[in-house]
Amino acid sequence: MNDKLLVETAVLAGEIMLISGAEIFRVEDTIDHILRKAGRNTAEAIVFSTGIFASLNDPSIEAITVARRVTVRNTNLNRVYLVNDVSRKLCADLMTVEEAFERLKEIRKTVQFHKRLKDMGFMGVAVFFTLLLGGNARDCVAAAVTGAVLAVAMEISLKIRLNDFCANAFCAFLIALTTLFLERWGLPGIKSDIIIIGAIMPLVPGVIFTTAIRDTLNGDYASGTARIVEAVVIALAVAAGVGAGMGLYQWLTGGYFIW
Amino acid sequence: MVIQTVGAFLAVISFSLILELPKKYLILSGTIGAVGWLVYLLVQAAAGSVIAAAFLSTLLVALFSHIAARVCKAPVTVFLVAGILPSVPGASIYRSVSYVISNDPVLSSHYLVETLQVSGAIAMAIFIMDSLFRLGKKK
Repeated sequence: MNDKLLVETAVLAGEIMLISGAEIFRVEDTIDHILRKAGRNTAEAIVFSTGIFASLNDPSIEAITVARRVTVRNTNLNRVYLVNDVSRKLCADLMTVEEAFERLKEIRKTVQFHKRLKDMGFMGVAVFFTLLLGGNARDCVAAAVTGAVLAVAMEISLKIRLNDFCANAFCAFLIALTTLFLERWGLPGIKSDIIIIGAIMPLVPGVIFTTAIRDTLNGDYASGTARIVEAVVIALAVAAGVGAGMGLYQWLTGGYFIW
Repeated sequence: MVIQTVGAFLAVISFSLILELPKKYLILSGTIGAVGWLVYLLVQAAAGSVIAAAFLSTLLVALFSHIAARVCKAPVTVFLVAGILPSVPGASIYRSVSYVISNDPVLSSHYLVETLQVSGAIAMAIFIMDSLFRLGKKK
């Protein structure tokens, strides 16, 4: 068996999972399983939320060690699922290492839903959360507009490569501003608070938070705390953005300007 | 109640689109989320506590997610993440900030504490279910 390719495959699988938002123990487990297929003495994987180290060693071969730095994070549960599937098949000998490597390279680029469908997702979350929080039909219309603004804001911040903190703050800022101005001019009488709450839902770090808890439970304290901090920072960014939007609105309409 | 449950179902599915949930599990995860939200509403009405509601609904969502994951041979995260979404304390975070802006530190800290309590309750619920399902599992 080609050890080198096996290690490459294992690390690639781990990298995709880590970027897509899998828990640390799942990533380590996957890499471990794949590496163990080589039947060497030592097969170790150490995974942090920011990087992967994998090593394969045996008296009969030169040690193979691969380190991979992971900087981006892009939640994609489908990729986690697909990689999990590949590793299952590989370990059950339903797939060769070469096939698995090719398949993983495909998975790295798989996108299930078109961008527009995701934009609909943002609008949907905003609309249906407004409904859950007790909004009526008018509120839902306003939420749809706000959700659309959020989708556009997301795209803009991706395009100009805004860092995460600023991107979240920027999106939250626009959400607050749009909703408050809609309340003033577009659809008077809407409940601006629940619309803002609904629209910031996609930004609130629920996924990272869940993963952080499960990492901590599994004893991956370094990654667990790192992710908790990440979640707190995102929550702060969203809060700062909403706060700035509301502050600006009050300042614009609060007597300094005559409208 | 019916509208709320359907709303939760659709909200979870919309969120799943953003998270790129595997297509074939969209309906299942939406259902888990909707059941979770129904429990949330019932507990909130019965006990009058947001924290208890978040705790019990997350407990149920986590249970279903673990079962679904085992049946479908898919990672638990796939179902768990979207399912807990309705109980995430977005509203408390928002109110906490909004009272900071309107200069009301008492209400602001009240909602800040509520945010922490609800997140703690969700964390606890996931934690408990995870531990239960790890019982007897070989390392």
